[in-house]
Amino acid sequence: MNQEQLARIRDLCRDDAAFEELQQMLIAHMQPMEQEIDRTHLQVEQQKTLFHVVTRLRESLDLQTLFQATAAEVRQLLAADRVGMFRFYADSGWNDGEFVSESVAPAFPSAIAQRIHDHCFGDQFAIHYQEGRVQNVADIYSAGLSDCHIQILAQFQVRANLVVPLLQGRHLWGLLCIHQCRVSRQWQEAEIEFVQQIAGHLGVALKQAELLAELRAEVVERQQAEQRAHKLNQGLQQAIVELKAVNKELEAFSYSVSHDLRAPLRSIDGFSQALLEDCLEQLDTHGQDYLRRIRSATQRMGQLIDDLLTLARVTRSEMQKASVDLSQLASRICTQLQQAYPERQVEFAIQKDLVAYGDRHLLQVVLDNLLNNAWKFTSRYPQARIEFGVMRAERTSETNLSETNPSETNPQENGIPVYFVRDDGVGFDMTFIDKLFKPFQRLHGMQEFPGNGIGLATTQRIIHRHGGRVWAEGALGQGATFYFTLEEEIRE
Amino acid sequence: MSGGMSGNANSRVILLVEDNPDDEALAIRALKRHHVGNEIVVAHDGVEALDYLFGTGLYADREINIQPTVVLLDLKLPRIDGLEVLRRIRENEATRLLPVVVLTTSNEEQDLLNSYSLGCNSYIRKPVDFLQFSEAIRQLGMYWLLMNEPPPRLEQRSP
Repeated sequence: MNQEQLARIRDLCRDDAAFEELQQMLIAHMQPMEQEIDRTHLQVEQQKTLFHVVTRLRESLDLQTLFQATAAEVRQLLAADRVGMFRFYADSGWNDGEFVSESVAPAFPSAIAQRIHDHCFGDQFAIHYQEGRVQNVADIYSAGLSDCHIQILAQFQVRANLVVPLLQGRHLWGLLCIHQCRVSRQWQEAEIEFVQQIAGHLGVALKQAELLAELRAEVVERQQAEQRAHKLNQGLQQAIVELKAVNKELEAFSYSVSHDLRAPLRSIDGFSQALLEDCLEQLDTHGQDYLRRIRSATQRMGQLIDDLLTLARVTRSEMQKASVDLSQLASRICTQLQQAYPERQVEFAIQKDLVAYGDRHLLQVVLDNLLNNAWKFTSRYPQARIEFGVMRAERTSETNLSETNPSETNPQENGIPVYFVRDDGVGFDMTFIDKLFKPFQRLHGMQEFPGNGIGLATTQRIIHRHGGRVWAEGALGQGATFYFTLEEEIRE
Repeated sequence: MSGGMSGNANSRVILLVEDNPDDEALAIRALKRHHVGNEIVVAHDGVEALDYLFGTGLYADREINIQPTVVLLDLKLPRIDGLEVLRRIRENEATRLLPVVVLTTSNEEQDLLNSYSLGCNSYIRKPVDFLQFSEAIRQLGMYWLLMNEPPPRLEQRSP
């Protein structure tokens, strides 16, 4: 009430005593009202602060900024000397930590970034704070605190202390500490409640920060993985470039082999033949025989060069995969064989409509090799049977179907088509199965069955390039079966 | 083949482009064995072949209105290689229609492809077996010298 109002009231009163009495009555009336106003005012301020905290929480996920601003605001609102966020060190069992953020009145020392050790805290108090305990101390010297606790507080000149837990989810992350220095202070219910609310919001921020950190770690990890993949990719690219260069060199090499190695052979063969034609009378039967041997050797070498080039080409040529009718290819090859040797009696059993996915040209080479072998190794018998087909049957344990290494275990061909070429010819001794697919290795003498030992090596390379396997079984005098797959087996 | 090549074809030369003397001797031997009576001119590299065809260098005074009945062309040649010779033959109006048979050691796909792309008339791989080679030459002579109607001469087409 201002002076003018007081003067007017004084005029209305009959005397000073009445005025005095009225004044007392008015004060008695107004005091609770003023207190109520103050309380409401404080509540409004608190709500404002809370609102600011929440707003900041939404705006920024930077904990340090949030803590700093909140500490300042809370300290101002409560007229406290220090508001600080204390963080426990991970793995310290809640015995060690430091203030990570603080707002402190200029007259008092900062508590920030100093390692604070309280060996009793972890054992005795952490569990309670974890469940939301609040420490409300009006005066540290009369609250029955332990000496070491008092000592810790005293070094920061703390006299009254209000501590609420900062929880990250259900984990006790740290403490929100309100200090009154030098003088004691009775903390009000509303103040305590307010500080708890603040701590609750900070807890949300902590949880968000944790999630963000996890997210960032994940992003970093992903970026690192990407970088690794990129590096790997670069390495691969480099390898491809190098491989291409090597391939090119190989191609150039093959090309010159194809040209230059054959030219002298042509001369040897051509002039041997010229000798046989032009100088036949001057040669006795020995001389003629020698010349024929020279010619047949040159031709063998010519064939060898051709086969080697095919083997090389099989490895380096680009595969063009498509659906290939294997039955049709096999039939055509068999027809050609029969036409070339019409005197032979061979029964062909070719399963119809076997369509595979692969490189047509290369698969033709495979069937060519296998069927020609079957034809060759049945040639001693007056009658023979050559089969081409497919099976999906599970293998029995006693048959050794190993490819080249007999110790290798054979997984079941889980439904993958297994093609086979079977003949009832001379067969082979399983003891030498290791040699079968190696280039230049032969299980028969040249006199017995001609060949240069490249066909099956070529076959194996082609099958491997398709991701499949090739193996064989047979016995001397009991024919041979060659099996192959054209896709990768699913291993358990 | 019993009878020799005869008639019009005999009057025109066969140009054999071959750098390997052995192959040259064998090719000539094979042609003779099959009684090909045509004169055989041998060019030992791409430059000589082009000189002969276009009347330059060594063959500066050759009458270029008369072109060979067929060119047997090796691919791997010193100085200018066979594919380049073929390209220039097809490029030039005077030799555009000249029958060219590529006769080479290689059966590399790239050579086959290049030769046919540049317009060779046929492609024969020289086999190691001389008898096969001889047979190829026989068929070649039979076709290009006897059966094939050569393209009209240059002077007949000029106004």
